[in-house]
Amino acid sequence: MAGTATNTAEHHDDHVPSFFVRWFFSTNHKDIGTLYLVFAILAGVIGGAMSGLIRMELMDPGVTFLTSFTDQNLPEAAQLDAAKNFYNVLITYHGLIMIFFMVMPALIGGFGNWFVPLMIGAPDMAFPRMNNISFWLYGASAFLLTLSYFAPGYGEQLGFGGGWVLYPPLSTENITGPSMDLLILSLHLAGASSILGAINFITTIFNMRAPGMTLHKMPLFAWSVLITAFLLVLSLPVLAGGITMLLTDRMFNTAFFDWTAGGDPILYQHLFWFFGHPEVYILILPGFGVISHIVSTFSKKPIFGYLGMAYAMVAIGFVGFIVWAHHMYTVGMSVNMKAYFTAATLVIAVPTGIKVFSWIATMWGGSVEFKIPMLWAIGFIFLFTIGGVTGVVLANAGIDHALHDTYYVVAHFHYVLSLGAVFAIFAAWYYWFEKMYGIKYNVFFAGAHFWLMFIGVNIIFMPQHFLGLQGMPRRYVDYNEAFSLWNHVSTWGYLITLLGVLAFFVGIAASVLQRRKGVANPWGEGATTLEWTLPSPPPFHSFNELPKIK
Amino acid sequence: MDNHMTGGTILKKMPARLFGGLMTVGLALMLGTGFAVANPVDGGPVDGGLGLQEAATPFMEQVHQFHNWVLMPVVIGISLLVMVLLLIVIFKFNSRANPTPAKFSHNTLVEVVWTGVPILILLFVAVFSFPLLFSADVIPDGKRYLAQETELAETFTSKSDTEFVIANDFSEHRRLSSKDHVEVFVLSNGERRELAYHKEFKLSGLKTDEVTIALNEPLAAGEELEIIAGRSRVGAKKFLDLFGTDNSQIVVAPSINIKVTGFQWGWSYAYPDEGDFEFNALIKKKEDLDDASLYLFEPTKRIVVPVNETVRILINGREVIHSWAVPAFGIKIDAVPGRINETWFMANREGVYYGQCSEICGKDHAFMPIAVEVVSREEYQAWVDSEREFAGLEPKYTNTIKLAANADNAQ
Repeated sequence: MAGTATNTAEHHDDHVPSFFVRWFFSTNHKDIGTLYLVFAILAGVIGGAMSGLIRMELMDPGVTFLTSFTDQNLPEAAQLDAAKNFYNVLITYHGLIMIFFMVMPALIGGFGNWFVPLMIGAPDMAFPRMNNISFWLYGASAFLLTLSYFAPGYGEQLGFGGGWVLYPPLSTENITGPSMDLLILSLHLAGASSILGAINFITTIFNMRAPGMTLHKMPLFAWSVLITAFLLVLSLPVLAGGITMLLTDRMFNTAFFDWTAGGDPILYQHLFWFFGHPEVYILILPGFGVISHIVSTFSKKPIFGYLGMAYAMVAIGFVGFIVWAHHMYTVGMSVNMKAYFTAATLVIAVPTGIKVFSWIATMWGGSVEFKIPMLWAIGFIFLFTIGGVTGVVLANAGIDHALHDTYYVVAHFHYVLSLGAVFAIFAAWYYWFEKMYGIKYNVFFAGAHFWLMFIGVNIIFMPQHFLGLQGMPRRYVDYNEAFSLWNHVSTWGYLITLLGVLAFFVGIAASVLQRRKGVANPWGEGATTLEWTLPSPPPFHSFNELPKIK
Repeated sequence: MDNHMTGGTILKKMPARLFGGLMTVGLALMLGTGFAVANPVDGGPVDGGLGLQEAATPFMEQVHQFHNWVLMPVVIGISLLVMVLLLIVIFKFNSRANPTPAKFSHNTLVEVVWTGVPILILLFVAVFSFPLLFSADVIPDGKRYLAQETELAETFTSKSDTEFVIANDFSEHRRLSSKDHVEVFVLSNGERRELAYHKEFKLSGLKTDEVTIALNEPLAAGEELEIIAGRSRVGAKKFLDLFGTDNSQIVVAPSINIKVTGFQWGWSYAYPDEGDFEFNALIKKKEDLDDASLYLFEPTKRIVVPVNETVRILINGREVIHSWAVPAFGIKIDAVPGRINETWFMANREGVYYGQCSEICGKDHAFMPIAVEVVSREEYQAWVDSEREFAGLEPKYTNTIKLAANADNAQ
């Protein structure tokens, strides 16, 4: 993470385009990054609202809450049916929105676009106009997803309620309305957007690093985005293939997954999870990169074991491609296949552990300042570790039979996502806020945001481990009263988290109102990457002269 | 200036009190979350429960052992270690306590340790994980031998009053080859006692075509011999061969087959060996339940199986994927259209065990429960006969004992 060039020379009047051209026809990586962040925040609000409805329904046994959203003119039985379908639709779209429209746009589209060119000393991305295409494809994808949500699915019920994984036959023969087809097309566009974005990142990072910045001197966030880009390019086409096969089975009488004509529903699961497992590493790797930067900055020490960190991410990315069937242990696979996937999945714990211990070793002996981004980073390290070890539990096929499709799985992935990836996103938000917007964030509300969320999400998801061990299945609108206590506690956790999210927005408003001027480097000697040599916010064209790395 | 902190310095800085403290906390957490709260219901969760449901099969006991003694120590240990290290950082290395940051960014010893130790931990996990998986997925093929042939047993050959011979006629790779593959029981006055290898009997001929069981003392009057042989040893063994008791047993090949079909929204069961009678099990509505606390668990009809007998489940889906699960047995198997999947269980105590559909299948995914009623062989036979009668078949077992509590079950 070397960077000694500075850019304090005056910038000439940047030729900033007019508003419409600037924001709709952008070819500027910083503006496109901002577009992605706004998009991700909006999607996060919608996805979070859906999870709120889910938790409110699950607060007590009985289908009581969602019936208030159904057509009150219908008889009670029909309202109950509509509520059950609505619940399934909520869990499906909650997953899709949070994964495809919140985490990925925030980390890759948002912070990736903003800071990878700055960190490597590049004037912009390799393909600035294609960068914009990626963003607007996301917009189109979101539009189709919204249409899908409100389009007829099963009979008169709206939306598709089969989980974000879209397994056939539930997603092919069982749902006749256009909602499913719109959903498939939405995912096609999102996939295309990410593939183009990944091409852009790979080309930029390989070809446009400043002189002297070898790959082994490149900041770890750029490394993380590079590896993520490779995962995207290799895995998304398989998803595209799989969902196209769903579409042709639905529309053009193909029989990929139609068992009555020689197809196999399990084929879809293999194709989906071949994408789906690398996808979860796509979600977390950029987060790893962010945490490395933040831990190093606020410890005022270089990251411990830089090469180990970079190549641990490479190992995680690579091994992530050969473990997919640990999501399929109950489909009726042979025991030897399950044994292989158990072994391969356990292996991933090693490079991940190296990273966690290296972050701690970075802090060890450092002079740590507990500024807001560092709070999120420390929270990340602890909570991601908990999520990681429950992953080690689930890796074992013998016990996965008891835990598959229970709340134990839900708890596991929310710990690594909501308490992992999301913490990394907020860490990055506060770390780079001043750089991006040229004003300081309001520290009081940022602190409230952190503590309320930290407490809240732990209360939501820790009890879900107990529910899973006790046998409560996931994707259930209603549950037996023996699962009452932890469900109730979990919902209270949501309400606390909601206050945290409120603090986030109030904090933004307060920051804007206070408008305290930002500086180039608010973090001091620990911030050693190139973006801190630029003014806050950086000018439209970032670098006046090519930075040279020694 | 030497900027390297050695591994030894780091370890020395952790006070002993802290280490003892975290072990205690870890143990408490492990015991709390690993071990299930006592269950008043036979086969179900408990409100506020923290761990796995109580086991009703030897396989589930093995799952308990794996979770509580192998996985939970790893989970708690690693989480606590990271938490403690972070607390040390927060209190020892904050900018006030340590104004000058160190400059090191490497330490070969520490890096080797935190790569090697996790590998060892994972090997430890794997050593228990693979036998657990093979216990679950290899359909047991054990055999029971008695003096007289029955539905559930073959015969052994008596060479003398202390020597008994069984044929080692298992399929390839499944032949008897060690003392763990043979169990010897003495039955007398309704009691069943396992004999101790070497102290009470010896084996010879393992790995050959005939295995001889030589009792040290001949059987007394009124005593009968039962031999169980096979490689399907399931259950919690002595942990690391050191702690606890050996509760494992050789599981005999399935004596009962049940065909299960998942449909939207219920389960259909058939007993092909008992006349292929078939029935559906839908959700039992709240108003129809005697005990409203069983809502979402109790179906309109339970499947009935005999205790201590191995049941094979053959399962398929009708239109979409469902999944058949019984947490107290530790089993879950998908019902996939166009495919027949297979699993097995052997319940070792009587009771009613509930499960729920475990693959999203539409609006009533949460409303298609499963109940397995485990009863004595006599009650099972009576139930079969009543089902056969309902299906228009002659009774198969001439048992006259009627199961009063099964009035529910005989539609």
